Amino acid sequence: MTVGTRRRRASTLAGNYVLLLILAAIFVGPFIVLLASSLKPATQDVFSFPPDLIPRPPVADWFVRAWTVIDFPRYLLNSAIYVGVMVPAYLAISALTAYPLARMRFPFRTVIFFLFLSTMFLPGELMLIPRFLVISELGLADTYAGVMLPGLLSAIGIFLLRQTFAGVPQELDDAARIDGCKEWGVFWHVMLPAAKPALAVLAIFGFISVWNSFIWPLVVLKDTSKYPIALGISYLTGVTGTDVRSLAAGTVISLIPVLVFFIIMQRHILEGMKGAVKG
Amino acid sequence: MPQQPGSDVPELTPVVDPTSPHPPSQRVDARLSRRRRASARPPGASRWRAQSNHPAIWTPWLYMLPGLALFAIFFVWPAAQAMQLAFYKYNGISAPVMIGTENFERMFNDPRFSEALVNSFLFLAGMIPLAVAVPLLLAVLVNQKIPGIQAFRLAIVMPVVVSMVAVAVTWKYVLDAQGILSWIVTSVGIADEPTAWLLSSDWALPCLIIIEGWKSMGIYMMIYLAGLQAIPADLYEAAQIDGAGIRHRLMKITVPLMIPYVAVTSTMAMLDAMQVFTSVYVMTRGGPQDSTMTLGYYVWSKAFEDYEFGYANAIALVLWAIMIILAVVNYQITKERR
Repeated sequence: MTVGTRRRRASTLAGNYVLLLILAAIFVGPFIVLLASSLKPATQDVFSFPPDLIPRPPVADWFVRAWTVIDFPRYLLNSAIYVGVMVPAYLAISALTAYPLARMRFPFRTVIFFLFLSTMFLPGELMLIPRFLVISELGLADTYAGVMLPGLLSAIGIFLLRQTFAGVPQELDDAARIDGCKEWGVFWHVMLPAAKPALAVLAIFGFISVWNSFIWPLVVLKDTSKYPIALGISYLTGVTGTDVRSLAAGTVISLIPVLVFFIIMQRHILEGMKGAVKG
Repeated sequence: MPQQPGSDVPELTPVVDPTSPHPPSQRVDARLSRRRRASARPPGASRWRAQSNHPAIWTPWLYMLPGLALFAIFFVWPAAQAMQLAFYKYNGISAPVMIGTENFERMFNDPRFSEALVNSFLFLAGMIPLAVAVPLLLAVLVNQKIPGIQAFRLAIVMPVVVSMVAVAVTWKYVLDAQGILSWIVTSVGIADEPTAWLLSSDWALPCLIIIEGWKSMGIYMMIYLAGLQAIPADLYEAAQIDGAGIRHRLMKITVPLMIPYVAVTSTMAMLDAMQVFTSVYVMTRGGPQDSTMTLGYYVWSKAFEDYEFGYANAIALVLWAIMIILAVVNYQITKERR
């Protein structure tokens, strides 16, 4: 390698890092503006030319105010309930539905699989009104159950798990049966452990989408005490009005759980995505 | 973990059903032929076979019961209602009145509907490059094996995991008349005075497009990244030896191999762009002067602000038809390129 190409390599690398830093600033920058706004004392302008992102000194007042001006703990608890019930239920229902579709032979199997898949083509926007009417008819409007039930079935969950179960070697299945496992034993002791990576990915995306859910709870719920955190923030925008510092503080609080969860879980995601697109 | 059947117990090998979804492996084939040579059928084999491939008739249905019930209640029933309701006038309280195709005729004479239709297509046109092309470049950039790359990936994906509401609130600080964006454009000299971006009927829609694009780029980048990592490295090495430059390698190797992934991202982006709602709801409420009124928001506002469920549903059906057509066209285009 000549000195010239080595120097070119080094400058390309430096150029790459500059580009990456600019990109990081574009993607993370707005959150830093938000965080700065939430920490600024009342004596410091939130907006100024040129922008001033260093709070002098940082204060926690706005976090306290956001926490009390709306029932913040309640919304966090609600979101925790929605996640805690919906994610396990969603995984269980997806796995139970996918298992026969992958490993049993019965009439109409393919038809049923395609029926489930077809729900991908029924967008939320189209289903919003009729689902709201169905929920009302069932007497579930403005209830936790009304918020949760329609979200428990998704084509992608069934699809991903069906592909995973179908790929489990038949030998494992047979061995379990020889050991005396019935259908349920095979499902529980062979299939579920084999599908752990797929289940992990579904759980991660399930957590994120339930934590961030907005439009469906907005339609179903009248009672603000059942709001998930995303609706709570929307409510906070109305309550805080011109108090942009408290709004920023409340939004920062709402981001923390999902970001922490994501950073802990992120290493599983790329793995699972590989399977999802290939499958 | 159940024990693997070893080769020392050939009598326990499975009966492979040719119609089963699992293609028999070479190993099973070999064992089968060995088994055919041994004419004696092992005791219990037929019982086992019945149990494995032909479970009791109700077993699969029992497993699928919760899924099927949810499917019937929250997909079939509402879908049937959606089809029906589009031909009715219904305010949610008094009994629905059948009005034939009036809801659909009304769309032709509804200037807000055409405004929403145009805005949705503008949204789509703006989102496609942001969701399909830019993330591919991002993925190529973060697919390098250089120190700290994982942190940059995380940074780009961060907006994906955050709720749209939080994103919308966050961007309000950037887009304020006195915010950073105004400061940048005035100090660079693009504009003379600060703009309240979201209050301008010229800028509100482009801002929403950029925000939606910014929020979703990370997921598209991850999809491409998964694809890039599946490309064998020796392809690039061979091209490099043949003297292909970076741009050449990108256009001749990366882009063609990424076409299946482009099919996925473009479909996702189209469906999302046509349905955009939350960002509009939180940031502009369709304003100013309906400049950000999209079909998704118009459906919601007709239904849950004006309580015109029938009309709103008819619009949703039209939106659905548009989405199906777009998805089919997109599928055809990407299939030909493959």
